[in-house]
Amino acid sequence: MATADTWQPAPSLPAPRSERGWIGWARANLFANWLSGLVTVVTVPLIAWVLWRIVAWVFGTADWTLIASRPQQYLIGLYPTELAWRPLAGWLLVSILFGMAAAMWGGAARRIAIGYGAITLLLGILPYGMFHEGVVMPGWIRALIVANLLTMAVGYALGRSSHWGRPRTFVVGGIAIYVVLLVLLTGLPGMEQVPPRQWGGLMLNLILAVSGIFFAFPIGVLLALGRRSALPVVKILCVVFIEVFRGVPLITLLFMSQVLVPLALPENFPVDSVTRAAITITLFSAAYTAENIRGGLQGLHPGQAEAARALGLPGWQVTSLILLPQAIRNVIPAIVGQFIALFKDTSLVYIVGMLDILEMGRSIVQGNVQFADNGRELFIFVAVVFWIFTYTMSYVSRRVERHLGVGVR
Amino acid sequence: MDGQWNRARGLSFALALAFAALLGVGCATTGEPATVAPPTEDAAETEAAQAAPSPTESSRLNTVRERGRLVCASLNDTPGFGYLDDNGRNVGFDIDLCRAVAAAVLGDADAVDIRLITAAERGPVMQSGEVDLLVYVTTWTTSRDTSWGNFVQTMFYDGQGFMVPVSSGVTSAYELAGAAVCVNTGTTTELNMADFFRQNRMEYNPKTFEESQVAFEAYKSGACEVYTSDRSALTALRSSLENPEEHIILPETISEEPLGPMVPHGDEQWFDIVKAVMGILIYAEAYGIHSGNVDEVAVGDNVKAKRLLGTEGSFGQDELGLDQTVGQTVIKLVGNYGEIYDRNLGPETAIDLPRKGSRNALWANAPCSDCPKGGQIYSQPLR
Amino acid sequence: MRLSLTYQGIPIWRHSRVLGWTAQIVSGIVVVAAVAFFIANLANAIDERDIPFGWSFLNREYSTPISEHLLPYQESDTFAYAFLVAAINTLMVSIVGVILATLLGIVVGAVQLSGNWVISRVATVYVEVFRNVPLLVQLFFWYILLLGLPRVSEGFVWLDSFYLSNSGLSLPAPRAQEMAVPWLLAVVVLIAISIGVRAWLARREERTGKPSYPLLGGVVVVVVGAIVAWFALGGEPFAISVPHPEGRFGRIVDGATLSTELTALLMGLIMYTAAFIAEIVRGGLQSVSKGQTEASRSLGLGTMETLRYITFPQALRVIVPPLISQYLNLTKNSSLALAIGYADLTSVAKTMTQTAPAVTIFLIIMLIYLSYSLTYSLIGNLYNRYIQFTGG
Repeated sequence: MATADTWQPAPSLPAPRSERGWIGWARANLFANWLSGLVTVVTVPLIAWVLWRIVAWVFGTADWTLIASRPQQYLIGLYPTELAWRPLAGWLLVSILFGMAAAMWGGAARRIAIGYGAITLLLGILPYGMFHEGVVMPGWIRALIVANLLTMAVGYALGRSSHWGRPRTFVVGGIAIYVVLLVLLTGLPGMEQVPPRQWGGLMLNLILAVSGIFFAFPIGVLLALGRRSALPVVKILCVVFIEVFRGVPLITLLFMSQVLVPLALPENFPVDSVTRAAITITLFSAAYTAENIRGGLQGLHPGQAEAARALGLPGWQVTSLILLPQAIRNVIPAIVGQFIALFKDTSLVYIVGMLDILEMGRSIVQGNVQFADNGRELFIFVAVVFWIFTYTMSYVSRRVERHLGVGVR
Repeated sequence: MDGQWNRARGLSFALALAFAALLGVGCATTGEPATVAPPTEDAAETEAAQAAPSPTESSRLNTVRERGRLVCASLNDTPGFGYLDDNGRNVGFDIDLCRAVAAAVLGDADAVDIRLITAAERGPVMQSGEVDLLVYVTTWTTSRDTSWGNFVQTMFYDGQGFMVPVSSGVTSAYELAGAAVCVNTGTTTELNMADFFRQNRMEYNPKTFEESQVAFEAYKSGACEVYTSDRSALTALRSSLENPEEHIILPETISEEPLGPMVPHGDEQWFDIVKAVMGILIYAEAYGIHSGNVDEVAVGDNVKAKRLLGTEGSFGQDELGLDQTVGQTVIKLVGNYGEIYDRNLGPETAIDLPRKGSRNALWANAPCSDCPKGGQIYSQPLR
Repeated sequence: MRLSLTYQGIPIWRHSRVLGWTAQIVSGIVVVAAVAFFIANLANAIDERDIPFGWSFLNREYSTPISEHLLPYQESDTFAYAFLVAAINTLMVSIVGVILATLLGIVVGAVQLSGNWVISRVATVYVEVFRNVPLLVQLFFWYILLLGLPRVSEGFVWLDSFYLSNSGLSLPAPRAQEMAVPWLLAVVVLIAISIGVRAWLARREERTGKPSYPLLGGVVVVVVGAIVAWFALGGEPFAISVPHPEGRFGRIVDGATLSTELTALLMGLIMYTAAFIAEIVRGGLQSVSKGQTEASRSLGLGTMETLRYITFPQALRVIVPPLISQYLNLTKNSSLALAIGYADLTSVAKTMTQTAPAVTIFLIIMLIYLSYSLTYSLIGNLYNRYIQFTGG
């Protein structure tokens, strides 16, 4: 007879074969019940067929000459070729930031930096002549593109150093680089001037989006504070501004900036149509940012403001040092979302005759009868380019969200 | 506390910088038109001091010479007239007219800045005098002549027409009742079409699009039976079709569209210069001068041709402030009217717009052996 | 020496009320000055540069066709009426788009959380693709795709009354006759009666405990009443209008037509907005604590019942506010219609600017869009308050 001290539990058996490995996974995730199984059986061949059609079209039917024959125009528009070193130099500076981010935050930032570096390298060494005869990418341009890897390394080193590798350096450096980039593209006094009218391609989309969010942010903060203000006049003005800009389509606002605003300005007022469009986009975006930040402010516990006041901080310090930082932290994902929306909306500047990547392509299709049939290829290409950027941004946003623990209370 | 202070200060500094940058860009952008605008008194004084042709000389020519570039407002989405080549350069019939003026004034056909604008911006741009020349397939109308600037010369005769598939069996625009018509919005094309159908009491179904690319996609797929636009554009688009012979352009022309360059108001000398350059292009073709034989003709025995080229007599180059041999420069660098036409619209191009027998043929050859030839391209005699 | 013990108070220029008023007055003056400056310039431009302005054009004949219209429209109608026609077109796109995008978004959002790996991946890919590509590009894409259908002369025909081609889908539709208005009025009255009948039956059921089928009773009242009214009015209120090809081009006339342009616009708007709504729905469903689901399952409710009665009502509180802003976005995005040839408000307004003062036209369409936006916000806020109170 077995006694208590000699009793041994039977050794636990491995799960049955049908619950393990890929079979087990498939049973749990593909054939959990008859409905799930049916869905799997129907969708898998359908997906395979769609994918096959897409592959067949991309590599068979489609004619990519439209894109392959003029890579430069899609990247920088009609920016003069002999001055192409300017955007390229600006690009080199931007790469520093990617290197720094990779060193400072690791993880997702590093992965993005690696992807970014890979794409850059690819753009630098791609044999463009292979896709379309006669397209020659000058050696110096290739060299400048590949040099981005060097500046990324510099940025990485900066990010590792305890002195430079701080978020404040990153932000201030980022702003400085942005300013330098704009000045460089326009040209310093004495250099040949390239007015924003001549900027184009993907570069223009990126610049408009970055400028938009960059200026929209401070304006949005002010509007949000104004909307929560106890002063009725300020409050009403802010509410009217926000609701008008949020209530009207951007495309209508852009039309107005071209048709109505010039009339409401004195003759020879020194703001050209491109600047007007950029300002319109910024104000539109500011109204949305204001609402996001207002949401963040509303989510704060009133105790925060009370505690700060009890410590004797004056009103503006309560707002700028206690409330805003917390509110902004809470709405970072929303602001990134707004940035993505803004980036997509930059494709609407065709209304003012600017050649962003989409309009650049459309003007090529329209102006050259040999491409009249290639609309599909153009749209797919532009969609993929936009997608790469926006998807990366939403990926970053999700990581940041998780990192900050937003929504976890 | 200190750290926060620094952060706040750093942030506000950065923001201030950024705003400064925006201002800088804004000013840099807007600084440009200022240089294009009629020169300030300083510039005028300098000119007077240099004793250029005469102190009363108009400013536009001097401004252009000082700048060293000719600024033309033009377009980039119309095949044959203004579009982008593989290298992103602006090319086309209208661009060549701009280049001809640059060759005449600056001696360099490449010294041009093409400012791409939208159709809606044409009026404002001309009124502000930001550009020296508008070459934008612009129809000459009285109201534009009064409010925008001065039309110089008709360099191309166009008119609105209709294109239909042959299979529809339609042979006249008066048979289009009940059809769906694809058209671009925002131009007179749409209004002309509406007038035509209303005038003839025909029902129709318009499909209006913002850009011709989508409108033409709709026509190609058969979503509309008719596509309407200027005849030159129709011809260009027809030639881009896989089977051009399956489509015809109906004989009716429902509007007059004389196209030509335009200069800003307020400078008669400049107006005359551009007119003279257009004359050079047209008469060079009439006299049989082209970029290949300029040098021979210049020493030949055709008096009229020699006057045009500046080797004998004058047609007023001096008074216009142009070189004596301006004719040679223009023809050598850009070619005559026929060369410009052939290069951009001729049989060698994808557009292949027939010229012979059309209104865009020369009115006559000179010496006039078989006048009139039936074309309407004509200009003031050069003498 | 005497010490002054009177409290001096904070200096007047640092008093918060003074500061506040100063700020208000200054900002008020700045804004008023800016507005006055713009208006003065505008007036100046109107005077000196001969910029047309005014409202008189509204009574003029528009005399330009509008390709598609929900309301009856002729070229001889006025500008004011053309505005109404275009505004209704936009409103229709907005309402249809909002309803369908919501349905699709809920389905995709729920499917993303489904246990089936394949289909939840498909839903995720859908979301990531469609919300990350500019809507303008998507609209072009859909439009060109739909143009790939056979042309009207070679289109699909079914029962001689359904036509599908790259010009659109035409199907039979009721057409109002003389008696339509009285009949519709009768139906409205019947519906009012049926609500009373239903309430009465429901009360009776409660009181007596006998099953009285309140819902069925209500429906029977409406249906029977409507049929009686149909014949009693003498003359049919509605006739069926069957589409048929006409003219040498075989264009389909009569019936109801869903044009290619409208379909492409709706597809683009719905697919794009649904991707955002799906994310909102997924976030909302995930925000409901897992304990709720577990408790519900342990009470014996099935998956669908749990979703319907437990999870979804709670998720709704998180979902509704961002959902409303998506509705606003959809309405505003419908202005991209002009790129693919649908006659929406913006597109018609753009054509109008050729023959009428642009300043006035833009003021009008701004007001129309604002009124749409504010209406959506209002409805949304009311509904939001309602669900917050009742708690599902």
